[in-house]
Parts: sequence; structure tokens; C-alpha cells
Amino acid sequence: MQKLTCLFSLFTFMIVGSWVAANEVVSETVVSGLNNPCGVAIQPKTGHVFVANSGAGTICRIENGKAVPVITDFPIDVYGKGPKYNIGPLGLAFYGDGHLVVGGGGYKDGEELLRLYEVPAVGSSIKADAMVSSMKLAPTEEIKGEGNFYAVAVAGDSVFVSCNGDDTKGWVSKATIKDGKFSGYARNIATKEAVEVDAPVGLTIDPKNGHIVVGQMGEITVPGDGLLTFYSAGNGEMLANFETGLSDITSVAYDTKSYQMYALDFNWIDTKAGGLYHLTKATVDGEPGVECTKVMALDKATAMVIASDGHAYVTVIGTAEGDQLGGKLLKIKLPEIE
Amino acid sequence: MKFKLNMGAGVFTGLLVILAIGAMGNDDFKLEIPKGLKKLKIPRDNRLTLEKIQLGKQLYFDKRLSKDQTISCASCHDPNKGWSNGETFATGIDGQKGGRNSPTIINSGYQVFQFWDGRALHLEGQALGPIQNPIEMGLSLDELEKRLNGIEGYVLQFKNVFGNKPNSGDVAKAIAAFERTVLSGNSPYDQYKDGDTKALSEAAERGRRVFFNKAQCSACHAGSNFTDGAFHNIGIGFDGSSPDLGRFVETQVEGDKGSFKTPTLREIARSGPYMHDGSFKTLEAIVDYYNKGGNANPQLDEEIFELNLTDQQKKDLIVFLKEGLSSANYPTVDPPALPK
Repeated sequence: MQKLTCLFSLFTFMIVGSWVAANEVVSETVVSGLNNPCGVAIQPKTGHVFVANSGAGTICRIENGKAVPVITDFPIDVYGKGPKYNIGPLGLAFYGDGHLVVGGGGYKDGEELLRLYEVPAVGSSIKADAMVSSMKLAPTEEIKGEGNFYAVAVAGDSVFVSCNGDDTKGWVSKATIKDGKFSGYARNIATKEAVEVDAPVGLTIDPKNGHIVVGQMGEITVPGDGLLTFYSAGNGEMLANFETGLSDITSVAYDTKSYQMYALDFNWIDTKAGGLYHLTKATVDGEPGVECTKVMALDKATAMVIASDGHAYVTVIGTAEGDQLGGKLLKIKLPEIE
Repeated sequence: MKFKLNMGAGVFTGLLVILAIGAMGNDDFKLEIPKGLKKLKIPRDNRLTLEKIQLGKQLYFDKRLSKDQTISCASCHDPNKGWSNGETFATGIDGQKGGRNSPTIINSGYQVFQFWDGRALHLEGQALGPIQNPIEMGLSLDELEKRLNGIEGYVLQFKNVFGNKPNSGDVAKAIAAFERTVLSGNSPYDQYKDGDTKALSEAAERGRRVFFNKAQCSACHAGSNFTDGAFHNIGIGFDGSSPDLGRFVETQVEGDKGSFKTPTLREIARSGPYMHDGSFKTLEAIVDYYNKGGNANPQLDEEIFELNLTDQQKKDLIVFLKEGLSSANYPTVDPPALPK
């Protein structure tokens, strides 16, 4: 029954046909010169935007068009074998208004931390080690330790994290917060066993029914293998799984006003072809499926959050120009859906 | 029609059968997918028909598709040798040796990328490569077409199946159609996964757990075909001075240096020797290689590291590979009668 409910609600939000005109998409660069930004979140009450300036090992608050470091000195690791990217803090999400959850990428698998911070006041900053709570997923006799906590999504007192340490299972893990601290952190959904494709990366919560929505990246050497999958937050059961034709999904997010879904495709093999996509219901070979309509080309897009005013804040690694690092935070006005 | 009498009635009858079926129309062939495998995507411009499959099978086994008429596809991808050829490198025309091990074609219809380095897409993109390769079959496409157009049995079949004279494009399609029928599934592992808990021996069941957990095999050998279809550097050859750079030759992407396509593990017991260079003769040697963490190099996959498997775990893993992934319905095929 839950699967049918999921499919119904999935199709409900997707049932609005979409037409996106390229000239409707308005984008501005909020901040440039970032170092491999890989996470973005909006503080609920203040509306302040926070960015994981990953390669620099900092979390920044955007203040008056500047990325001001507020949490610094995260450890940094290297992702990739060529091209290579320095990465530190990755996924961000707010727990309430005063706490920030940060998924780490700078330690080796098994040592990596999921961290919880009290948000520093404007004008102040703290070190990365000054978290109020942290957890790791160490190896067991049979299972590899976890790392590269790429995306973080908060649902009530639960925190879901897309993990990219153990490539045999593709874990989405789950932490719980109690009395302002993590009270548990465990491997929760073995996405790779469910969908037979690698790498849960994009992650969000369906705002209407609380389902966990995963953008499965797939292999970076294989184009077009990205999946969109829905799981029950209660028991982790897979409710629906769709091929998208996207190559390397790095983020999925809802516009909560219009209940439309968007995804970012990094497109590792051909990053010039990457971008922001609008996802809608479609019939594919006679079966329910997903159509992905490109909204905007983006240069190595890594993370996205959609504000209540219909703007998508998107981080891109971009391309360096001279001495200027290529990372940017973009603010994209999502087109009206007809 | 001309037929060599010393071939007996077989060819004549076979051709009549083919023509009779053709007269009934080239209907879509319903490919039976073995348990455990997913639905196979068939390209819209190369639908499966019985006639096309039969034509493809003939072409696959026909040594006249090589310059000196000594080598066919089946020479290097032999049904009796796991659809590989049982040697480190295969031998082409003039006794020339290839540079990479012959991959099995079992379940190759599921793979987007073909060859170890993924330089061809889909089976249709692969089929003409070895025919033209000077160290494999060494026949130009012009000569291929000329030869086939000189064989009446092929002329008739190509007309019936494609409505064309024999041409290289349709040769590729026909061979691909045949190769799509070479499927292995319904193995003891598939039966176990389907609920028959007795389908695997105790040792194989222990090995299954090792495969999907501590040994990290399913990091790459994943999904119903036991391959992610992607490219990985597992360090093969990097203990030497000039390792084959594999996928990098195609993409020129630094991270692809030394990467090769993950092969299927189905029927692995039959398809040795193993790896792109055929350097491993036994599964035991492979397991030891992975257990030690491969050969270090700058592009070594992060999934390759020292595993610390116990001797028992290694033995059980091998039992799982041999027993669990070998099907009682192994796709065995007899060479067909060839047209004259």
C-alpha cells in the first residue's frame, strides 16, 4: 500500500506538465572564487545562506555578497584520480534554526565525521573541532568504514546522509538527534543492493509525505546511469525507482512552493554538458518514468537548495580563470511552471 | 540455386527452412531471459528475429570472414571455452597473437561499452572491429562485402532479413542479434536469491557472504550481470615497466590510466584465464591478488585494498564463484551449417 501511495504522490507532484523556456531562467553569481564548493543550506529563520567551501576546509556564511568563514580548519582529502578535487566539508543541512549538520569528506573512510554545530553568531567563527557532537561509521569485520558524507537531509530529529565509503552497499545512513546531540548513527538503507547502481549522492526529503529521495549517481565512467529512487523513511523500503538518463546526479531538491523537483548533473565524462534539470513524470516504454528537462547548463554543479521564494542556490566547482578559483555560488530563479 | 551435393541434404533443407520461415514474415523473436537477469534492451533499429539470429550465428562461426579463411568470431569466443578461448591471448590470421585476453561474450548484450577499453558502443559497434583488425581477422569491409555477395546462401538470407544485399552494417547487426541470445542466468545463486535456500552449498553460501561483504567484490561486480559496466584500475600490470593503460588510450583522462571494463563473473569457472592480459590462470590466484591489495599505482581504485581474508574465506569465495555462478543451462551452441 505504501508503494502505491508513494507512486500516487510522486505522480501528483509530477503530474503538472512542464515547459521551460530557456530565456525564463535568470541566474546571478552570488559569490565567486570559491574552492570546490560542495554543500549549501539556508538557515530557516534568518534566510542566511551557508556554503561548504570544501577545498578550503571551511563553512562560509554569505554576508553582503561575501563568503565569510564561520567554521574553519576542516581536514581536506583528495577526490578523484584525475581530475582531482580537494574536498573537506560536504553536505550541509540545518537542524532547527540554531544548529548545522555537516557531512565530512576530509578524512579517510571509517574515520569520517558527521558533525553537529551551534551556528556561530554573525561576526564570529569557530574551528571545525568545536562541534557539539559528532559520529562516525567505523568498519566492522565484514563492512568497510564510511566516508564522503556527500549530502545531508534533516527530517524532524532524524538526519539522513548519503555515504560513499562502502561501494558494495551504497549506504544512506541515519542519525538521530536528542537533547542537542547525536544519539545514534547507523547504516540504514543499502541503496546499491536495492537498485544495483553505485553511489547515493543527491538526497532530499519529500516535503509532502516524508519519503527519502535519492539521486543515485552511478559510475562516473558510465554516462546516463543516474537513478531517482524513493524510499520509506520509516523502514527503508524502496518504493519506486526510475532511470533518469542523467549521468552523475549530485543533488536533488524540491521547490516546496510548486512541489516540483530539480536535480543537478555533474556529468563527469563531459562536464560541459552538465546542468540543472527539472524532473517530471513521463511514460517510458509504457511504464511510469521520469523526464529530465534541462533548465540551465552548469559547470560541475555540486549542491543545491531551493528557497521558499523559488530561487535555487547552486554551488559549482566551475573552471579556474588565471589565479581566480572557479567555484561559485549561483542564485537561479526557477522558471514558472505552466 | 546451387548446392554442393557432398554437403548432403542438410544445407539444402536448412535453407528451405530459412526461406519458409522468411516467407512467413520476420516476426520479432521472443528472447527468453534466464532467471536472475534483467530484461534485455533491444535496439529499435535491430529488432530480434529468428532469421536474423540464424544469419548472425552463421556469420559468427564462418571463417570466410577472415582474410585467410582460418579465423571466425568463434575462434576467439568459443562456446566450448566459456565463449572466450582459454588462452592468454588469442591467435589471429598468420599466427599473430593478440594483445589482450578474449573477453567472454556471455551476457554481452547487457553491456553498453564493448572491448576491455570500451572503445565501441553496443554489440553493433563491436562486431566489425575484429573482422578488420589486421592481427585478428584482417579482412577489409570491401572484401567482406564482396565475399558475402559471392555466396548465394548469404545473398538470399540478407535479402530476406534486411531487404538488402550483404553489407557490413547488416553483418554487424546480424552478429549482434545472435550474440544477444548468448545468455547465462538461472545459476544456483539466482535460485538462492529467488528463495531456494538449498540452492547453494554451505561453502558457497559462506562464500556469497564474503563476496558481498568483506571481499568487496560487489563494489564493481554488481547487479544481475555481476558487472557495473564501468572502468576500474585494479593495478594489473603495474608491477611491470609498461602497463597497458586501457581506457586512458580512448579518453585521455588521467584518472582512466590502467582502467579496464569490469567483466561479468557469470560462468567465470569456464572463461579463464583472467584479466585483460590473461595473466591469472586460476581464481585462486585472483583472490590472492585482491587479498593483497593489488599493485599500487597513482590511479588505483579506492575499492582495492588489503582485504585480510582468512584461508577459509578465500576457499569459500572461490566455491561461490565456481558453483554459484555456473548455470546448468550454460549457453552451449553447436556450429551451424554454413551457406555455400
